[in-house]
Amino acid sequence: MNVFKKTWQVSENLPGLRLRFIPTIGLLVAVGLLGFWLISRYFSADEDTTWQRIQQTGVWRVGMDPSFPPFELLNGAGEPIGYDVDLALALAERWGVQVQIVAIGFDGLTDALLAGKVDSIASALPYDPRLTADLSYSASYFEAGVRLAVAADAPIQSANDLAGKRLAVEWGSNGDAEARKLQRADPSIQRLTFPGAPEALAALLAGEADAILVDGVTLRQMQGSGSAIRAVGDALESNPYVIALPIGAHVLQGQINSALAEFTTTGFLKNLEERWFSGGAQ
Amino acid sequence: MRTAILGLLLLITLAALYFAARAYLAQVPLGPQQTVVTINPKMGVHTRLTDEAEEWKIKRSLEMVREMGAPWIVEYFPWAYYEPKPGHFEWNHPDTVIAHANRQGLTVVARLGFVPEWARPADTIPLYLDEARYEDFGRYAAAFAARYRGQVSHIILWNEPNLSQEWGFRPVDPESYTQLLRVVYPMVKAANPDVQVLGGALAPTLAPPGSEWGMDDLIYLQRMYDAGAAAYFDTLAIHAYGWSFDADDPPDPEVVNLRRAELVRDVMVRNGDGHKSAMITESGWNDHPRWNRSVSPGRRIENTIRAYELAAGWPWLDAMAMWAFRYPWDAKSYQDHYTFVGTDFEPKPIYWEVQAYAQGKGDPQ
Repeated sequence: MNVFKKTWQVSENLPGLRLRFIPTIGLLVAVGLLGFWLISRYFSADEDTTWQRIQQTGVWRVGMDPSFPPFELLNGAGEPIGYDVDLALALAERWGVQVQIVAIGFDGLTDALLAGKVDSIASALPYDPRLTADLSYSASYFEAGVRLAVAADAPIQSANDLAGKRLAVEWGSNGDAEARKLQRADPSIQRLTFPGAPEALAALLAGEADAILVDGVTLRQMQGSGSAIRAVGDALESNPYVIALPIGAHVLQGQINSALAEFTTTGFLKNLEERWFSGGAQ
Repeated sequence: MRTAILGLLLLITLAALYFAARAYLAQVPLGPQQTVVTINPKMGVHTRLTDEAEEWKIKRSLEMVREMGAPWIVEYFPWAYYEPKPGHFEWNHPDTVIAHANRQGLTVVARLGFVPEWARPADTIPLYLDEARYEDFGRYAAAFAARYRGQVSHIILWNEPNLSQEWGFRPVDPESYTQLLRVVYPMVKAANPDVQVLGGALAPTLAPPGSEWGMDDLIYLQRMYDAGAAAYFDTLAIHAYGWSFDADDPPDPEVVNLRRAELVRDVMVRNGDGHKSAMITESGWNDHPRWNRSVSPGRRIENTIRAYELAAGWPWLDAMAMWAFRYPWDAKSYQDHYTFVGTDFEPKPIYWEVQAYAQGKGDPQ
């Protein structure tokens, strides 16, 4: 009591002192508010309503356009099958939930996710950095970008070994675009154009070309059909396929990413590729 | 105190100098007057510079159009962008686009539309225009035509009015669109008698009668003529996409293909408008691997070049513009597979092949 009285007395005697407290009090209030905001943000960020909904309902709603074999297509009974379907089933099995495939046209998939009609998109979806303010993405599970491929026993080890070589491409394709870039850098590269990728492959296998440039999907289809070719180096133009999620679904994102990492380690993704690109699964 | 004020003044001066230097460095010189070298003077492309903010990108796009050998461009000049308040015009962006286009030797066809908020009811989209506001649109179109006299030779009034979406999600109404032409055409011609006014720009569609989404373009055009549209446009704008059909596939009222344009032309002739020309302001093929109306990249190239050849042989056609030269950013959808050049200005194979055609270098590949 005395202390209080004494302090009060000091304040009365020195009115300027009270004014000096105002910035300090203001600062403390500001720090307090900032702390409250950070803490509330931390706790609210911890909530992943998408993951909660999946856990509560036991259903993971996956948007997919089943028109892109072998990633997604319809079987004779009209049921969706394919690489992405099997991947979604494997993920759901880990979480103890069911998969509900929602068939949507490719150009409507993102809007469906943003509108909350689905929880995720798994549909051979290319990563789009422009949409990362609106969507979250998983790690990549398939590289569909343009790859350089050669006969299994060819000495070519990288795109740097193409000087003077014959490069087969589908006329007008992304592979053709990459070939023209390589040709600009090294005019000794001979670009051979064909109406389609199968003709370019035939030229390679017949020894009429030294290498081909094709997208990753076509390459795997060629390998799956028994062609003795191997990819050389990384994709010349990356086009990774990913699973898209709502922006706040960080728990779901973590679950998918850890599963994909494990699927890579265990060989599950490799098996999926072999299953769906061999043609046998269809 | 004096030191503080001097310091502040120095800071302000430095900041002003910095921003002035930045503005100066950001200027892109127009460069020397260029001309387009081509064997086919009817070749054109629809550019997408509306949302391209950086001037060097505008210039580079137009340079590449010229280098490809296309003398015509169609470009969109949205009303809402350039008249944000009634009577208050902001012409900086169109000034830039048109000056660079002219300097590259390109003929500009300006597509006008997109209603500002002040000219439409709340909760409507910018493609909604009440008849009561046709004069407002006419004032914008007339101001545009007057400002760019001698620089823009053609103006398209509205876009695809036979689609509900393009008509503000209302039932399409050829008589009301004709009324738009009736109001706006004389205003534009009074402001710039030299400019050619294009009407129509109808979407090729097989929408069945009563469809909520749109109206068959051939029927819509006939109803325009029935409503008296002939007196209110100089040239008909036609949209003629190939979808999955070859350029030479014959015209058929039940099919959307390139030569549907000939059926549109027939409607003109039947209605006594055969003396007028037409212009294909959107056309093209798509080579997306997943879109159900696309073709292979090679067929896209072949059909595009063949379409330009057909255009050269159609005496009633002024020009053919392919959709679309380049987007400011990737759409990340099938739309990206209409373009000739990537957002990074990397030419696609179709660009090189069309350029080779324009240079008379024989068969593609």
